[in-house]
Amino acid sequence: MRSEHVRPWLATAARLLLGGVLVVAGALKFPDPAAAERAVRAYQLLPEPLVAPVAFGLPAVEVVVGLALLAGVAVRAAALATAVLMVLFLVGIVSAWARGLQIDCGCFGGGGQVAAGDTRYLSETLRDTGLLLVALALARWPRSRLALAPRLEPATP
Amino acid sequence: MSTSSKKEAARQRIAERRAAEAAARAAEQRRRRTVVGGVVAAVVVVVAVVVAIVVQTGRTSTAADAASPGNLSAGGNGYTFSVGTGPVTVDVYEDFQCPNCRDFEDAAGSTLEQLQQSGAVTIVYHGMAFLDSSRNDDYSTRALNAAAVVASDAGTAAYQEFHDLLYANQPDEQTGSGLTDDQLVAYAQQAGATGEDVATDIRDLVYGDWVEDATDQASKDGVTGTPTVLVDGTKLTDLSADGLRTAVEDAAG
Repeated sequence: MRSEHVRPWLATAARLLLGGVLVVAGALKFPDPAAAERAVRAYQLLPEPLVAPVAFGLPAVEVVVGLALLAGVAVRAAALATAVLMVLFLVGIVSAWARGLQIDCGCFGGGGQVAAGDTRYLSETLRDTGLLLVALALARWPRSRLALAPRLEPATP
Repeated sequence: MSTSSKKEAARQRIAERRAAEAAARAAEQRRRRTVVGGVVAAVVVVVAVVVAIVVQTGRTSTAADAASPGNLSAGGNGYTFSVGTGPVTVDVYEDFQCPNCRDFEDAAGSTLEQLQQSGAVTIVYHGMAFLDSSRNDDYSTRALNAAAVVASDAGTAAYQEFHDLLYANQPDEQTGSGLTDDQLVAYAQQAGATGEDVATDIRDLVYGDWVEDATDQASKDGVTGTPTVLVDGTKLTDLSADGLRTAVEDAAG
């Protein structure tokens, strides 16, 4: 079957896409921790004691999960973790949108308020939805080429 | 049944049992590998998160006994300077490097100061510094520190004067390299801060930690961008001179 040959390469492409996005997005939030806190606070969702742990911890999770995907270790678990992250981001973005906040998502560092015409909620939502679907597909078919630990993946049913 | 076929059946049973045992062992091994892998992954994630939180908390923490400037607003949160005594309070959150803040100052700054001089409003300046970059040599922080030095040395009227000078001479956010410390000192003197420590306090960022805390406080106040202008606590959406005047008249009742 042709698809048996193609599918692992598609999974590899999905790993590189998701892993690359997560590592870059996570890494960009490290240089300015105070800005990361303000970006989280701008969503007005978390009580103050949780702002710093989320602002500093979430990028670390992004980087670890992203590295696992790039390396090809525990791909199914990492893909599921990616899907969970995307759902969390979508909840944050859509709720900010629904509440009429005018903020940048801070997805790749930065964040905080932007001018009324500069919000990009639609494209941010579409992007994260697309990444969520890719992550779910990768969790369903995690076997891929160029993976460090392909034998650890469960056989595809 | 013949002896040989009995033996054959027995051999088969033994082989089946062995195969079953081997499969069980393999399954057990897989299970253990999954558990170990899961534990390792969880530990890696937890360690990364804890390290990130500890390191980043260390990078954002400021000295508990950070130096505070003098002449702060009486009864304020410790990060504001007030000018005027009018009944309507106008809170202004600004960053000296923010081009939209300069636009607001150009459009409504003089109206605001007229309203204050006529006794209609009290202006409460909330400085913020979040537009630091290596290109502008952390100009946001240096500018707000210098403004705090000016207020400390010469009072809040001098702060206002210095504030106006910095907006009138604001370097470009994208291409500028910030005003130099020498320029800040010169404007401070022009605004009336002539104390002997003014120059050193500006150059040494004597209120650097206070600036960081002030920015944090503004974010906690719910301010996510600048300029944010509150007229008696209500956010001003029309940042023109007329918008400001109307909002102040409405607040005055």
